Amino acid sequence: MFKIFQRLWQVNWAEQWQYRANLIMYLLYWLVSPIIYLAVWTSIANSKGDVSGFTANDFVTYYMTLLIVDQVTSNIVIHTFAYKIQDGTLAGELIRPIHPMLTNALVNNIAFKALTIMGLVPIWIILFFLYKPDFSNVAPIGILLAIPAMIMGFFIGFLLSAAITALAFWTTRVYSIHEFYYALILLFSGQFVPLSLMPKLIQDIAQFLPFQLLIYYPIQLILGKLSSAQIVQGYVMGVSWLVVSITIFNWVWRNGVKRFSAVGA
Amino acid sequence: MRTLKLLSAFFKVNVQLALAYRADTVVNILLNIMWLGWELLSLSIIFNNTETIGGWGFGELIALLGVFRLVNTMMIALIWPNTEKFNQSIRDGSMDYTLLQPINSMFLVTFSRITIWRIWDLVLAIVLIMVGINMSGDITTPLNILTFVLLTVSGAIVIYSLWIVLIALTFWFTKFDNNVTILQALLDAGRYPVTVYPVWLRIIVTFVIPVAVATTVPLQALRGELSISRIMMFIVISIASFFVASLVWKRGLKQYSGASS
Repeated sequence: MFKIFQRLWQVNWAEQWQYRANLIMYLLYWLVSPIIYLAVWTSIANSKGDVSGFTANDFVTYYMTLLIVDQVTSNIVIHTFAYKIQDGTLAGELIRPIHPMLTNALVNNIAFKALTIMGLVPIWIILFFLYKPDFSNVAPIGILLAIPAMIMGFFIGFLLSAAITALAFWTTRVYSIHEFYYALILLFSGQFVPLSLMPKLIQDIAQFLPFQLLIYYPIQLILGKLSSAQIVQGYVMGVSWLVVSITIFNWVWRNGVKRFSAVGA
Repeated sequence: MRTLKLLSAFFKVNVQLALAYRADTVVNILLNIMWLGWELLSLSIIFNNTETIGGWGFGELIALLGVFRLVNTMMIALIWPNTEKFNQSIRDGSMDYTLLQPINSMFLVTFSRITIWRIWDLVLAIVLIMVGINMSGDITTPLNILTFVLLTVSGAIVIYSLWIVLIALTFWFTKFDNNVTILQALLDAGRYPVTVYPVWLRIIVTFVIPVAVATTVPLQALRGELSISRIMMFIVISIASFFVASLVWKRGLKQYSGASS
């Protein structure tokens, strides 16, 4: 099994490396919104002193941590997989004795991630010198706790996106469904603004949804803002959502493959 | 006259294209309403925490959202579909047939695909601008409205020219599929007044990828914040950028050698 993953890694790394120019454009595209939010909120905090207790530095550290966390936990499976179902090329992968989504697509995503993180590093350093944030609240223990949380967040996000991608077995409008899903992420993950600045209702709902596990929870862990009770609660939520997303994905995938007739192949 | 006839022909073809995918059109309109809801919600979250950003209030930001949506509609309804078609035609050589047509190739390449249903988005944008200005209590004279319209058009011309330059680069670098991604990426900066951005970002969105010229600037004109010389300057810039773009396009065409030959 290890050999298979090693080989898949070589293939997918080479494939992603071939598209490195595209990757840089993607990275720039993805960077713009957090940087704009950062600029807007620091400008507000600077003019008023603070925003409900958040100083300008709090916003800078929040969004700069977000850049890393989001890059680790997000995925692009809808863009690399849905078309294979639609044009029938998935047929070739289905006859192999390995799961197309949980091996090849997964490794492909990780290779993509590794490359974009390499591209992010210099940009992050430039931003660091532009904003000179004060990260003195960050403790090693917070980072150590955040690493498993981010890996968990990545798998939750990946499985949910994979389940949505697999809806392509039923409908051609899977991209629209994914757009709706993306709006939910924006609303409930803490991507736009730290969740504690969102309206109370949204915060209450967000607590029970998986999206904050992808962004808000790991950021708060890294920045050392959580009590031990909150840390435990986050992990419990994470493990529960991991189980739920595995179940959802398996169900959708199994029923989807049964319907698959490989159009054109 | 011939141009108008062609435009109406393009229009007909694109209406037919949209009607072929009716359900998609409905879904897209619903998604668009959802995004509008999100944009208004995010503005209200910002203004729960502050009264002004970059010197502008809630009403002005709603009007700015309207101006932003005008440019964004241009991006989605015109720039993306035509760019996709253009990139394809460079790759497979069908650009040859476009060049054989007896009309201006730049016009043909940039106006043959229009996502028709997006037109309602323009109406929505204008409603947002009017509601926003009403809320803000700014006094607008007919002269301000006139300069606003002028500068919105000149801003759109600047974006259009930049687009021409970006796609013309494909003549030199055949594999340049991401030619307009950079434009789309920075467009998001147009949602907020440039005055909130740090200097380096302000320079990028004003001079390098001049999104601000098409978003913040027209609204400043509507509020009567711009002097006559400033207004003249923006108009001259837009005319100049159009000429530069046509020049780059012509140079690029000479570079084009067809895909199969």
